[in-house]
This record gives sequence, C-alpha cells and structure tokens, in this order.
Amino acid sequence: MFEKLMNIDRRIIFVLVAVVVIIPTLIPIRLPTRVAEPTQKLYDYIDELPPGSTIIMAFDYGPSSLAEPEPMAKAVLQHCFNKDVRVIGITLYANMPTLADKLMQKIATENGAVYGEDYTFLGYRPGALQVILGMGTNIAGVFETDYHGTAIAEIPMMENITNYDQIDLLLDLAAGSSTEAWIIYANTRYNLKIAAGVTGVIIAQMYPYLQTNQLVGFMPGYLGATEYEKLLNAPGDGTIGLNTASFVHLLIIGLVALGNIAFFIQRRREE
Amino acid sequence: MEVLGIWIAAFLTLCIFSFLYRDNPFYRFAEHLFIGLSVGYSIVVTIHQGFIPLAWEPLSEGVNALQSELTSEGTPETKEALSGLFKIIPIGIGLLFFARLSPRHTWLIRYPIAILIGFTAGAAIPNVLQASIFEQTYGTLTPFAAMHAGSLSTGDIVGAILITIGLICTLVYFFFSVEHQGPVGWLSKVGIAFLMIGFGAAFGNTVMGRVALLIHRVGFLINDWLGSIF
Amino acid sequence: MKRQVPLALCFLFGIVMILTQFSPHSYSQGVYREVINWNLIINPFALILAVATLIQTHMTRIQRRTEHWQYSLVVFLGMAVMVLIGIPLGPQNSYVEWLYNNLQVPMDATMFSLLAFFIASAAYRAFRARTFEATLLLITALIVMMGNVPVGDLIWNSVLSWLPMEDGASKVRQWILDIPNLASRRGIILGVSLGVISQSIRIILGIERSYLGGGD
Repeated sequence: MFEKLMNIDRRIIFVLVAVVVIIPTLIPIRLPTRVAEPTQKLYDYIDELPPGSTIIMAFDYGPSSLAEPEPMAKAVLQHCFNKDVRVIGITLYANMPTLADKLMQKIATENGAVYGEDYTFLGYRPGALQVILGMGTNIAGVFETDYHGTAIAEIPMMENITNYDQIDLLLDLAAGSSTEAWIIYANTRYNLKIAAGVTGVIIAQMYPYLQTNQLVGFMPGYLGATEYEKLLNAPGDGTIGLNTASFVHLLIIGLVALGNIAFFIQRRREE
Repeated sequence: MEVLGIWIAAFLTLCIFSFLYRDNPFYRFAEHLFIGLSVGYSIVVTIHQGFIPLAWEPLSEGVNALQSELTSEGTPETKEALSGLFKIIPIGIGLLFFARLSPRHTWLIRYPIAILIGFTAGAAIPNVLQASIFEQTYGTLTPFAAMHAGSLSTGDIVGAILITIGLICTLVYFFFSVEHQGPVGWLSKVGIAFLMIGFGAAFGNTVMGRVALLIHRVGFLINDWLGSIF
Repeated sequence: MKRQVPLALCFLFGIVMILTQFSPHSYSQGVYREVINWNLIINPFALILAVATLIQTHMTRIQRRTEHWQYSLVVFLGMAVMVLIGIPLGPQNSYVEWLYNNLQVPMDATMFSLLAFFIASAAYRAFRARTFEATLLLITALIVMMGNVPVGDLIWNSVLSWLPMEDGASKVRQWILDIPNLASRRGIILGVSLGVISQSIRIILGIERSYLGGGD
C-alpha cells in the first residue's frame, strides 16, 4: 500500500494543487498577517520622504514572473502618489516596457497622478551595467526621451534631475540578479540608496545586503506585497494571493509529510 | 477586440496547462508561438529603445549638423550635434556582430565582445570588491563593536556570534586547498549545516514564488475569462 | 589581428574602467562617460547573435525534417508577425500591444506557473529526510513555508498556544532568514565575489581567453 502511495500518478497531485488554488480563488478568505522588518523599513523610508522627493522604480521582471512584483509596484506607487513623491519608471528587461507603462498609467489614473509631473516612464535601454553606470553620470545621456518619445528636457518633473544625486531612492522590483547589480554599481559607485521588491526565488539572498544597510528595505515576494498593502491599509492582489497561497502551502507540507511517512515505513519494513 | 483578446489569452493559457496531462500538439504550438513572439518583441523593443535612440538619432542629427555647417548655416546647437558623428565608431564596432553570419569573417565579432567583456570586468573589480567583500565583511564585524559598546541585546549578541560562526564554517566548506579532516572537517560539517538551512529557506520561499505564478493564472481564468462569460 | 587586437581592446577598456573609478579629474570622468556611451551603443547589436543562433537552429530543424519540425514554422510565424508590425509601428502601437498583452504575456506567465505543479510533485516524491543534512533542509523549508503564509501563525497560535511565543511561525521564519540563512548566503557571496574578481583580472590580463572562441 505504501509503495503504491509513493508511486502515485503525478497527475493526481496536479489535480489536488489545482483544486486548492481554484476553491480559495472562488471563495476568498482573509487571514491576519504580521509585518516583518524588511517591509517595514522600506515603508518607513518612503513614508518619511518629503513631498517633492523623487524615486526611481526599476521594473526588472518579465511577464513570466509578474505575479509577485506587480502587487508590490501597485502598493508602492499608490503610497508615493499619496505622499507627493515623484516616480521615474525604467526597466532593464526587454520584454517589460509595455507592461510597466500600462501599470504606471493605471495606478496613476486611480490616484489622480499626472504624467510628467508626478510620474514618468523612461522605458528600456539594452545593457543593464551600461544603463546603471550611465544614469549615474547623466540620466538624459541614457534616456534622451521617455518611452513615448518626449524629450527628457520637456518633462516638468525631470527639470532639476541630472543623475542619481537628485534621486532619493531606487526601488528595484526584481525577478533575477538585478538588485545585486544595482547595489554593486549604483549604491557602491554613486551612493544611491537601494530598496527592492523581489520574487520568492531570490528572497533568501537579500538578507546579507539588508543587514549591511546596502538595502534600505525590501519586500519578500507575495508576503512583502501583502505586508505593504497592510501598512497602507489597502488590501489588494498581494493579500488575496497570499491567502490563497496558504492552502497550497498546507497541501505541499501535507504531501511532504505523507511522502516521508510512507518512505520511513517502507524503509523499516525493508530492514 | 478586448473580449477576443481575453478568449485568445485563455485558449493559449489552457494550451500550456494541457502539458500537465502530457506533451501534446496544443502545448507544442503554444510553446513555439511564444518563443517566436517573445523574440520578435525583443527585436522590436531593442530596435526602438536601443538602436534608434542610442545610435541612429545622434548619428543622423550629426549628419544633418554637418550639412548645416558645410552650408554655413551652423549654430551652437549644430556644433554640439556634430559630436554625434563620432558615434560612427561604436556603431561600426557594433555592426561587426553581423560577421557571425559569414563563417569566413566570424572572428570579427571578437572585437565588440572583447570591448563589452573588458568593460564589464573593469567595472566589476573595484565595485564587487567594495560591495561584496569589504561591505559584507564589515557587516559581519560591526555588531562586535556595538557589543563592546554594550548596545546590543542578548538576542542580537547570539545572532552576531552565530552569523560569524556560520560564515567562517561556510567559507571553510568552500576551501578545497586543505583536506577536510580533523578540525577542518568538523568546521566544514557545520558549514554544510548552515548551507542546508540556507537552501531550505530558499526552497520554502521558492514554493511561495511558484505558487504565486499559478494563482495569478488561475485568477485570470476565473475572474477575467469566466467572469466575462457569466 | 584576429586575437591580439581583441585582447588589447579588452585590456584597454578594462583598465580604463578601473582607473577612472579612482580619478575624479574632469578628463578622466570625460573618458569614463565616453566609454559607457560606446558600450551603450555596442550592446544592442549583441541581439544579432541571439537572433542568428535561433534562426539557424530552427532553419536546420526544418531543412533536416527532424521530429516536430513543423513547429519551427510557428516560431518563424510568431517572430515575423511581431517584427513586421512592430518595427515600422513601434512597441507603443496598439496592435503590437494587443499581441503582447493577449498572446505573449499569458503564455509566458502560464509557462512558468507550471512549475507550481512540478514543485508540489517533486516535494512529494523527492523531499525525503534520508540524512541529517537533508532533514535540516526539509525542516527549514517547512518552517519557512509555514511562516510565509498567514495560516502558519493561525495554526501556531491554536496548536502551540501553550508556548510563550505568539505568531511563532513567522517569527521563527524571520530568525532563520536573519541569522543562519544570512551566514550561509554571505559565505556564498564572498566566495562568488572572489571568483568574479579573480576571473575579471584574468580576463583583463589576457590569461582567460575563452570568450574569443576557437580558431586562429
């Protein structure tokens, strides 16, 4: 019986996973969450920025990983627009500009932010290292125009911005190694403050940088998005998603436990 | 157009999910279409957000400025735009990538590759040294100064000591110039334990990440697609 | 010409990037800016390599009529549609955005969401406490998974309510990430960084030449 259990058709597991995602999506629930230090630090930093400050939001993820960074971007944009903090959007990913542009437009419309005054999207330039280092000397040297072709010089909020010296924070929404690149080349070379919102896969490697203050703060995956939404008191996609994720996590923990019980019983029998 | 878009997106989503049952023509069609479209989109974006603003526009402005200068209609702006002509050199070097298409001249792509690699290596040496070696070492030792000043709680002291032990043992594990026997072997074993905890944490977080991707797609199918029908 | 010039160029650009980092002189910074500009211009051309390789691979599949070669035509179809509409009209054009939003994004996102199913299946089949190390990895993963979702604290507070710690799942998870995980990650960062630096020095000095490829 246990051998049968261990060699169960994987499609049965797939069906179980599908069921525990579909049911909570149809019937959403809300469980209480705590806010951990990394997200709290980021929230506090943005919250304490004086009105008129400028941050860069780097959309360094692609459609393949948008589930986690998108709710983070929404929450932080909402926070910035409500605090009169200006946002410059860029991306180091070639397959991202359309998504980032539309997302910024959507959140800006919802919060009454004006393009060119409260936010702008500069788009994409190839070569992450070249872009990071180039913007440190002259942003207009890398992005002479915004994504829609308007010259940087004609964008009101860019009037007094030359390089990183006038930027208060760079928030990297990352699904790869871009946060480390921003830390190594923008923070070390130009003293630009860096924060991040990262997908689950890279959460663990952010902690050494947080402890050294090379990262001001960061949002760890779905959990980070949920925490930021909680701090804003505006539950959104992160909160809904994380509550649904609870059930899948329980299923996977149960499967691991079951697999191990079957494994140990079988091993004892063999001995 | 919007409804059609949702239906097509839903169809392609289901085509890819069909792989869970087994490999099939619907999945293979969607997979290959995705590769083609994403490469096509990358080409479009790289041309419009890379070639045109960084190479073509400054160069054409430089050519126009040169024409103005030659016809004595030059202004201070045209003199500045003339500098765009110098971009012909990096553009020429970049064009050497096309040598990849001719087996006899493939060696020419070594020129742009060498420049890009030299640039990356040169930028890495001082910055990686500072950001990843000095800062990380500093971060490990700083709590001991605070400990000496008496400004750390008991929990923080234990944490700082554990981090130092863990770091040393992890480094010992990666140090292959000495045989891992005796005290070195023990330190290396502790290092493995720390690494396993690190990998376990990474796995736990990865589960959250992967599950998030699935929830997002199921959310699309239920809310956007089925929501548009019912 | 075929090897010496690229090696010299690599050395030159590498050394310039190092030296200009330490010199604030306006000439030095001018050179630094120009080097970055050159690299910004050269970089997009590297796309040619990727596209040429992809086209060659699929052309070969079609020519040799290998298994499922017909799908290579689909690759070319997708690429041609996007390129023929996108290059003249630009990525901001509504048709390009429609193709991107309704075809590329859903497929890309779904492709990677399959991993949720496979990670569940792999966890069930392969995640076994066979050895001490494997047990450590397994227990840590389970704690972090519980701490990542709100239901973890809910279970902790109901099942382990006799413990003097509330919301223990998320607190223990946080401690694991803050201390032992940080220590091992820092060890990896130091090791990788030393490797990056030594490799960079070898590249600049021309000791490491594998990027030149084979041939003369």
